[in-house]
Amino acid sequence: MIKFSNVSLIYPHSTTTVLENLNLEIAEGEFVLVIGPTGSGKSSLLRLINGLVPHHTGGILAGDVSVDGLSTREVKPGGLAHLIGIVGQNPLHGFVADTVEEELSFSMEAMNLAPDVMRKRIEEALDLMSLNSLRSRQISTLSGGEQQRVAIASALVMHPKVLVLDEPTSALDPIAAEEVLSILHRLVHDLSLTVIIAEHKLERVIGFADRIVHINGDGHTSVGTPVHIMQTSSIAPPIVHLARALGLVDPGLSVRDMRRMTEPLRESIPLQAPISSPPKVHAVIEIEKLTITYDEKKALNSVSATIYDNEIVAVMGRNGAGKSSLLTTIAGVGAQASGTVRIHSVDSKSLKGKTRMRTVGYIPQEPSDLLYAQSVAKECSQADNDNQIAIGTTQDLLNQLVPGISMNAHPRDLSEGQRLGLALSVVLSSNPKVLILDEPTRGLDYEAKKTLARILIEFARVFDRAVVIATHDVELVAELATRVIFLADGDIVADGPTIDILLSSPAFAPQVSKVMAPAPWLTVHDVVSALGSSN
Amino acid sequence: MKKFSLHPLTWWIWSLAIAISVARVNSPILALAAVGVMGVIVFTQREDAPWSKSFMWSLKLAVSILLIRTFIGVSIGVPIPGTTIFTLPILHLPHWMPGIRIGGAVTSERLTMALAEGVIICSLLVIFGAAASLTSPHRLLRVLPLYVYEFGVTLVIATSVLPQVVTSVGRIRQAQRLRGQKTQGFNSYIRVAIPLLEESLARSLNLAAAMDSRGYGISRLRSRYRPIPWHIGDSSIVICAVVVLALT
Repeated sequence: MIKFSNVSLIYPHSTTTVLENLNLEIAEGEFVLVIGPTGSGKSSLLRLINGLVPHHTGGILAGDVSVDGLSTREVKPGGLAHLIGIVGQNPLHGFVADTVEEELSFSMEAMNLAPDVMRKRIEEALDLMSLNSLRSRQISTLSGGEQQRVAIASALVMHPKVLVLDEPTSALDPIAAEEVLSILHRLVHDLSLTVIIAEHKLERVIGFADRIVHINGDGHTSVGTPVHIMQTSSIAPPIVHLARALGLVDPGLSVRDMRRMTEPLRESIPLQAPISSPPKVHAVIEIEKLTITYDEKKALNSVSATIYDNEIVAVMGRNGAGKSSLLTTIAGVGAQASGTVRIHSVDSKSLKGKTRMRTVGYIPQEPSDLLYAQSVAKECSQADNDNQIAIGTTQDLLNQLVPGISMNAHPRDLSEGQRLGLALSVVLSSNPKVLILDEPTRGLDYEAKKTLARILIEFARVFDRAVVIATHDVELVAELATRVIFLADGDIVADGPTIDILLSSPAFAPQVSKVMAPAPWLTVHDVVSALGSSN
Repeated sequence: MKKFSLHPLTWWIWSLAIAISVARVNSPILALAAVGVMGVIVFTQREDAPWSKSFMWSLKLAVSILLIRTFIGVSIGVPIPGTTIFTLPILHLPHWMPGIRIGGAVTSERLTMALAEGVIICSLLVIFGAAASLTSPHRLLRVLPLYVYEFGVTLVIATSVLPQVVTSVGRIRQAQRLRGQKTQGFNSYIRVAIPLLEESLARSLNLAAAMDSRGYGISRLRSRYRPIPWHIGDSSIVICAVVVLALT
């Protein structure tokens, strides 16, 4: 179906090749997963398929990419629209119409299909993606998962043979992600659709993949079955790390396989609770009867909670549960709210300028919102200046957090992980009493997530600070959080130690705990240390 | 009040007719009346959508243009004799610039004339702002012919990205405030403008790529999934527009 022959790709003004001599044939009805570190060229590979690279982005392409016999050399992306459906990283950025139905009809209208054909196909696509009840809704009012489904549906109406998706679940909560992925699985099996998908959260997708393309970042790629690639890959879901740590021959790819393989082991290990959460001594953030209302809709409904120092609190919940509203209000810049938030007994709304900086550090969903200087070095010196600290402090901090960033680089040219590191060092340079992060793991690979977890744990332990983090990433929560607050529809529905909250909900349980149940372990590290102490 | 479901061209035709009338009559009172009428229409008919804010934006823009224009009109130019309200110091210009004067006596005639001209020009802006406010740009795009592909792409991008820019500004300012930065003054604009520009550019490129890969502009003909019907309501508004045009 798709054929890459001797494909090499290099962008102008770049010294490294993105892809080097890639030969790959993807058959009809295959589910191919593309993995690699951030900035390694996953998106470029996906966009090569319909010719957006290099027709839209520039770059020098050697070799040939052809889809169903059509070479992207000869046909422009639009000419492949009937063959390839492409769903971008953030579907909201690709929508061209107001309502769901109009969005679905857009490409068919552009291709001049007859109205009765369109009617039929739209009904089919709406049914296939269970969107019928949303057909006349405004797209901007839909939740993230629904938007992703609309984006897929609007690709499917063209009856494409290939569906290309770039990180389709990165912004979704585990349940919405499951929904989207199981639909893709069904399409592959029922319609023999060829699906190519790039994703960082391997734990979500690896079970569906027939083959994996691993881009190393230096232009080299390896292609193989999931079992084959996972034997050696450094990018691997926790479950594979568990298999490696336990010395199993096969990397287990699903919880079921792993449970079968670990059965004798599980019976032999005595149950032992992992380290308990730190004692609650000094209250740092006191939230009292917080209610936030947007256009008569309640985002938060009389929420009360106290957060102590030394705590890393993960705020979880479905898309639109009120996580961001809670975070911005804690930081004191949220919308009109009734109730109070006090940080060290000071109302967070009354904080201003420098005092605010020293009290609350806040990393927004887009870390680049904080950055505006023309180079990393200028950004650092600006932070030194703002905090009236010794010149070079921020830069040193940055070098500790994420070493190897060129000081002359423009913040925009950094990878997602590096940019987050820069934003973090700018914020941490003022040594705030509370650090708040809103979904920091979007677009981060495992390596960057590990670094982030290390930084946050250090910050909380060494400086006795409180960290509040909103995220969908259960594996990250398992790694670092000491406490989880679970929001649903503006209410706190659960609040307690990470282990209790995560283990009590099957959708939010991390893979390791599913494998090792009923033992209360969340991470590979927990299992290994329990094993070590029992031997 | 009941909201009418109208053809996307209707309010544009109406606004065009009103705008021509205002320009032809050349009376600031009529211009203000027209703005008032458009305002009433906008506030009763507009939907809760991102583009419906464009009326308020055009109104703000118009007021600032009016102020700047009046200030310049009063302080620079040929003096008009009449009742002096107050006198500004005269800035002496070199002899090779005869006939132009900066500062000097401000007469009520000069002020009213500058104001009257300004009101008419700005009302045109507001009238079209109202039309933009009342029509979904996406629906408008669907009824426009597909002859000019680039124009279509530009229109979609402008209308989809602009409302997002407004929300982005809020988001970025919030982030900057959290970094302890002031959100007033010239420097704060630069701090907001840089991330904003980058983001809007990236978004526009993304959207253009998305439209391209969905086959936009491939076929010179374009079918209609649900043709947008032309109702009696549309006809009556257009007839009203023609009558207004004929009367003036």
